[in-house]
Amino acid sequence: MKAPRMFGVAIDWVESRTGAVAFIAPLLTHHVPRNAKWWYVFGSATLMFFTIQIVTGVCLATLYAPSAAEAWESLRYIDQQVPFGWMLRALHGWSSNAMVVMMAIHMLQVFLHASYKFPRELNWVTGVFLLFTVLALAFTGQVMRWDQDAYWGLGIGASIADRVPLIGNQVRGLLLGGPIIGGETLSRFFALHVFVLPGAAIGLVGLHLALIMKNGISEMPKPGATVEPATYRAEYEQRMEKDGVPFYPDAAQRDMVFCGACLVLLVVLAAVYGPFGPGGQPDPTLIDTNPRPDYPFLWIFGAVSLLPPASETAVMLVAPLVGVLVLVAVPFLANAGERAPSRRPGMVLVAALAVMAVAALTWEGKTSPWSPVMDGWSALPTPSHFLTGRTPLEVQGANVFQFAQCRNCHSLNGLGGERGPALDAIATRMTADQLMRQIQQGDGNMPAFGRNLDSAQMTALVSFLTTLRPEFEAPAVIPGAQLPLPVRQMPGEVATPVAAGTQ
Amino acid sequence: MNALRLLRAASLPSLCGALLSSAGACDRLPGRPESAQVAQEGSPEWTAHVFNTSCRGCHAQGSEGAAVPLMDNAYWRAATDEQVTQAVLHGQGVLMPAFGPTVGGPFTPSQASALTRGMRALWGGGAVRSPEMSGTVVAGNATNGKAIFDVACAACHGANGSSGSVTDPMYLRLVSDQGLWTAVVAGRRALGSPAWNEPMPGRPNGLTTTEVADVVAYLSSERPRSMSEMQP
Ligand code: HEC
Ligand code: HEC
Ligand code: HEC
Repeated sequence: MKAPRMFGVAIDWVESRTGAVAFIAPLLTHHVPRNAKWWYVFGSATLMFFTIQIVTGVCLATLYAPSAAEAWESLRYIDQQVPFGWMLRALHGWSSNAMVVMMAIHMLQVFLHASYKFPRELNWVTGVFLLFTVLALAFTGQVMRWDQDAYWGLGIGASIADRVPLIGNQVRGLLLGGPIIGGETLSRFFALHVFVLPGAAIGLVGLHLALIMKNGISEMPKPGATVEPATYRAEYEQRMEKDGVPFYPDAAQRDMVFCGACLVLLVVLAAVYGPFGPGGQPDPTLIDTNPRPDYPFLWIFGAVSLLPPASETAVMLVAPLVGVLVLVAVPFLANAGERAPSRRPGMVLVAALAVMAVAALTWEGKTSPWSPVMDGWSALPTPSHFLTGRTPLEVQGANVFQFAQCRNCHSLNGLGGERGPALDAIATRMTADQLMRQIQQGDGNMPAFGRNLDSAQMTALVSFLTTLRPEFEAPAVIPGAQLPLPVRQMPGEVATPVAAGTQ
Repeated sequence: MNALRLLRAASLPSLCGALLSSAGACDRLPGRPESAQVAQEGSPEWTAHVFNTSCRGCHAQGSEGAAVPLMDNAYWRAATDEQVTQAVLHGQGVLMPAFGPTVGGPFTPSQASALTRGMRALWGGGAVRSPEMSGTVVAGNATNGKAIFDVACAACHGANGSSGSVTDPMYLRLVSDQGLWTAVVAGRRALGSPAWNEPMPGRPNGLTTTEVADVVAYLSSERPRSMSEMQP
């Protein structure tokens, strides 16, 4: 028997038992619109990145230790010891970002061409669910690094969960696997990141592709060629019969070229910029004041930083829901009629505004209010005039101020972060009690230090802060209230070393 | 269509090429996480850069900076290199962060000692005076220490002293024994705190090693061991 014939027999054998060829052949040969040129490659590229994520993800899962004690070390091990380990991490990280970007472009293209109109409403809806699943994968993936960024991201996530009325505590507990971020938290997010969410994503991708097969690929929109649900299907099938081209090889080769280019770009990015993190080890006593969420989330942080503090709870809880609802509703609000962008100027404007808003907020998230002075705590010394004449406890309070990285957000003597107000004269504005509450509970964009500072650190810090006032200005007092810490009068001059210990 | 065919023909080889070359050059690719610093390790510029970004916020000079001023000669006349390296790698007490690799810090042990040597080259000068520090605090006698404290320190740090308490439990919770030793021996002239490795009026030799150990033992004995001990 000749080889080709043996191959044919083998295929027949499998085919007669599975029907695989009968299933796959139409996938390759189904007709797609002839004019669907390069516009349609973005979905395929998204799929390719998703595949890369699964492959690299499975490899990483074999190397990664999902326990709070070992996770961070195991990443360093992958980076430094495992041959090509760093490349694996870099590919996984960059491909994750690339996938989000590609998905956004794909979505934008579908929106601009109104491909979501009849009969493809559910294609869009599954796509929206995919979007959120992939964003959830990106977020839980950041947590896998288990460094300070992850810790901070979780802290913010937990405080958002806390805001949910009535069941906030339970939601937080469910998310973190306990009241605080701990070992349980990582196991929980690991399960989400490698089982639950990829499972959901694979299911949704399958559904999305099945719907594409069922409804066919939409044609390029032509002004005047409107979608009429009653007749659309029949007309579409007719046109495909007459004018369509088989998906393989005609359309597939464009996909391949584009995906190939994306792949090369991905490898270059990974090789040149390397893996993401891990940053410093997560240490609950050090609140990292430079929360750097990964790119797909920067715009959210930008938006939050612009909110007036009073509206935060409402906006943080309601906005995501509204976002999902609006996106899901898109095809149901207008599922017939014109598809050409030139006939839907309003929708083009909406898309343009959305893109600009996300870009501007990302910029905002990257720069101004979320950019504390990163090394303020370790680079900017406490000025002399806030140390001279102070007691040893107050001087230690200044150490706590540096150590807890308050300086990254608050300036003294004009040096330091400007995210929060300058604290040079804070003692004229706040009493010891108020200071203690501010530091423990946080406020607006000031993180709550709570149990991160023990009572000695808190006492020293507050006693230092109560000395921060110009020499002749009175400290803040609440009329009638007793100050828990006596406020000393600051001597203007340095204590001179007198002849002590001579007796 | 010609352009497309050309692209298609070119894409596979170029992809393989990119993969192969990245495999070959893997050790030299810019994205590979570095474990070593770039600048000439231990040079004055390197030391100044590292110090200015990582240490100066707490350890400056004169009356600037809340922790012991490392830019002042007084500290270097009191401390040994191994002690400094130790503090950098493993931290000290509650408020000195560790910079060593075991805690995910930025410095390798060799960088930490290069930093130490670099700092001594910039600000050291002069031999280390007795009582020197060696990284471990000499055990002392708290009862003797109390007696020395009453004579030598109480004028400034006692109930009516002008310089604030150093037996305040809150204060002591925040400072290690080593830190106390440094505070006594190196002092802090700019803030009015005398250095006891120098001649003092009536004490031409300052305090001896044993005396410093006793005073530190006394202060240490006043430190509450747990938070609950601190509640009134
Ligand atoms: C991430 C940045 C950030 C860090 C770190 C931070 N703060 Fe703040 N802080 C703020 C912001 C922002 C405000 C303004 C409060 C608001 O948004 O309502 C603030 C307000 C304050 C206020 C009230 C000021 C006023 O004039 O009302 C005090 C006091 C304060 N912070 C002390 C501290 C101390 C002490 C620390 C260190 C333990 C610290 N902060 C760390 C951002 C920060
Ligand atoms: C001339 C007065 C004077 C005498 C005598 C004196 N000190 Fe001090 N000491 C000071 C001043 C002023 C400070 C505040 C500077 C500071 O907080 O760093 C200080 C600070 C300290 C500190 C805190 C340093 C820090 O950074 O936390 C300790 C500990 C200390 N002294 C111990 C002693 C001991 C022990 C003695 C006796 C052997 C002593 N002092 C004698 C004036 C004195
Ligand atoms: C957040 C403030 C902070 C930063 C940043 C910091 N330190 Fe410290 N450092 C301290 C404090 C506070 C102590 C005293 C701790 C104690 O003994 O309780 C200390 C102690 C030390 C000591 C030991 C002093 C002694 O007792 O002999 C050395 C050496 C030292 N630091 C070096 C450094 C170097 C080098 C850097 C930069 C790489 C640095 N520190 C960064 C706060 C800081």
